[in-house]
Amino acid sequence: MSDEVGTSTEEETFVGAGLYDRWRTVQGNEATVAAITVAAVAVFPWLFADAPVLSDVLQGYRGLASLILIWGIFAIGFDLLLGYTGLLSFGHAAFWGGAAYAAGIFSAEVSGLPLLVVLAGTTFAVLLSWVLGYLSLRRGGIYFAILTLAFAQMLFYMAASPLASLTNGENGFTSVHVEPLFGVIDLGLPVFWPVSILLGEMLYVFVAAFFVLAVVVAYRVLNSPYGIVLNAIRENEQRAEFVGLNVRRYKLMAFVISGAFAGVAGSLFTIHGNYVPLESLYWTESGEIVIITVLGGAGSLFGPILGAGLYLYVENVVSGFGTIGTLWHLILGVIFVGVIWLFPRGIWGIVEDVREAVRDRMGGER
Amino acid sequence: MSLFADLLGVFLNGLQAGAIYILVAIGLSIILGTLKFVNFAHGALYLVGAYAGLLIANEVSLSNGLLQRYGYDTVGLGWGFLPALVIVPALVFVVGLAMERYLARPFYDRSDLDQILVTFGLAIIVQEAVRVLFGGQSINFRRPGWASGPVALPVVGNFPKWRLYVIAITAVLVLLVFLLVEYTDFGLVVRAGTRDPEMVQLLGIKLTRPYIVMFAIGAALAGVAGVVGAPLENVNPSIGMETLVPAFLVVVIGGVGSIRGAVVGGAAVGMVYAILVGAPLASIPVIGGALSWSAWSQVGIYALAAVVLLLRPEGLFGSEEVS
Repeated sequence: MSDEVGTSTEEETFVGAGLYDRWRTVQGNEATVAAITVAAVAVFPWLFADAPVLSDVLQGYRGLASLILIWGIFAIGFDLLLGYTGLLSFGHAAFWGGAAYAAGIFSAEVSGLPLLVVLAGTTFAVLLSWVLGYLSLRRGGIYFAILTLAFAQMLFYMAASPLASLTNGENGFTSVHVEPLFGVIDLGLPVFWPVSILLGEMLYVFVAAFFVLAVVVAYRVLNSPYGIVLNAIRENEQRAEFVGLNVRRYKLMAFVISGAFAGVAGSLFTIHGNYVPLESLYWTESGEIVIITVLGGAGSLFGPILGAGLYLYVENVVSGFGTIGTLWHLILGVIFVGVIWLFPRGIWGIVEDVREAVRDRMGGER
Repeated sequence: MSLFADLLGVFLNGLQAGAIYILVAIGLSIILGTLKFVNFAHGALYLVGAYAGLLIANEVSLSNGLLQRYGYDTVGLGWGFLPALVIVPALVFVVGLAMERYLARPFYDRSDLDQILVTFGLAIIVQEAVRVLFGGQSINFRRPGWASGPVALPVVGNFPKWRLYVIAITAVLVLLVFLLVEYTDFGLVVRAGTRDPEMVQLLGIKLTRPYIVMFAIGAALAGVAGVVGAPLENVNPSIGMETLVPAFLVVVIGGVGSIRGAVVGGAAVGMVYAILVGAPLASIPVIGGALSWSAWSQVGIYALAAVVLLLRPEGLFGSEEVS
């Protein structure tokens, strides 16, 4: 999305340059982004789990496809904070796991209607991120990372023992009860016939709808004046302050927005798994989302989604491959350090660099 | 009299719990204060210290992990505890030197964010390497015979000997570091470098060496914490990160760059923990049944940090400037 328009004169040497220019003018539209996302989400589970040759190589399965989208939502939200506002939170497990628990408890005690469950989980995450954000933003930079980590751990220990009567402690919350969508459509059943080949179960459609929504909302936020302010804060906080912006308020709002994304994702995770593990609040979960976002490419919309896909794929599929499987976490750590060291913009950054290089080569001076 | 004895017992327990955090936090705090470097891998040094201590002091039989798969069922030298207490700090000191030179130094000019991320990555690597080699299970770190069992103290009554040793070792080390920083020329350079590194360098004093030594001293302290702390609970690959988080809290409570702050913060955290665990002091019915306060012991530490932060964002002994 960050493509510069500066090369357009050189493109005229292409055959079909008109078409390309046309693409150039629409590629940034919100409708285009939504359409591409819908298309990608529609073919993804089939390609991943059922396509003739590809799926045999990948060994993917449909349950993982929905899980990847759920983590994708989480990662998009996290990137709004890390990549665009420049705040590194090490405590997003609090919102992911907190929402997962809130959604689970809500489904058991109040109502199991999926939309209401997601609403309950997300509301909880928003309120929680407001409080924790307010406290953690009292200190900037490194302290912010440490404080978010600490508060998230506090929640973990609360869920583990003092609130065990509510959360079922170390066994995780098992009495999640999800009802059919709108009371009629069972999420576990396949979609009607021809479409079901692509999409599979209703659950995937439910998750995918939220995913598309998340992409569109994030895209709109980033391209609004609000998003530009966030960028300004990342680039130079002091200057943004001097211009007259209330930096602290903007940061808090970025934190809450990203908490809301984590909340949606966490609630969906509960519906997806019908279970809330205690580990969903543990710091490793916060670490995972940091790794996913940074590996994929912080500061881009699609990088973190790519990161979520790769990470979950390696975690769930590659980890079963013999010796490499037992070493995967270690290898991941090494790759992570390598990426930070050499390619701070992540995998998506590499993709963009390659694309840029190819374009320069093709349209370069003769 | 009995209440007084209880209180004193809680106090000693608190000191002991705080001692481990103090040892880890001093290194963190100094490195953060002087080098302005955030070390999320500091917990990994604790982990290395614990495993190195375990392997030097005991002979350990492994039940899984790569070493076990390749036929090394029993590893470890079994030299006993005192050699471990001497060798491990030296070993982790060297690890610290290497870490400063090859990991921290290239990142001094990069953003805080990159520093956190790269050290976090290193923490994962160390933790996973340990898990791959020795397996993920908890290993029991036997206390040496001369230090196990209780000792009869005047007022408190029976108190575990080991805990007293932990307090004593910590006190000695903290004192040594404090004297080094406050009363030697080396400490003077380090402190001056913290204030105004540019000026110190203009005066012709090289800061690279004091910095790397300071980093390594911090690392060695974390290593010692691993050796003396591990026998209190079992050793497993995740203890590093589990110690790091409270240690960070201690730094936040005490204030960055201050040894005094780390000591007071660590003691405060230990006290809160011990008071909440010391169940006889208070027992209340919580929703769903009669639980004691001890369930809240971990939570209380964080609540303390939150309160300090609200009242004094720069920490108890921190300087006024808040970044």
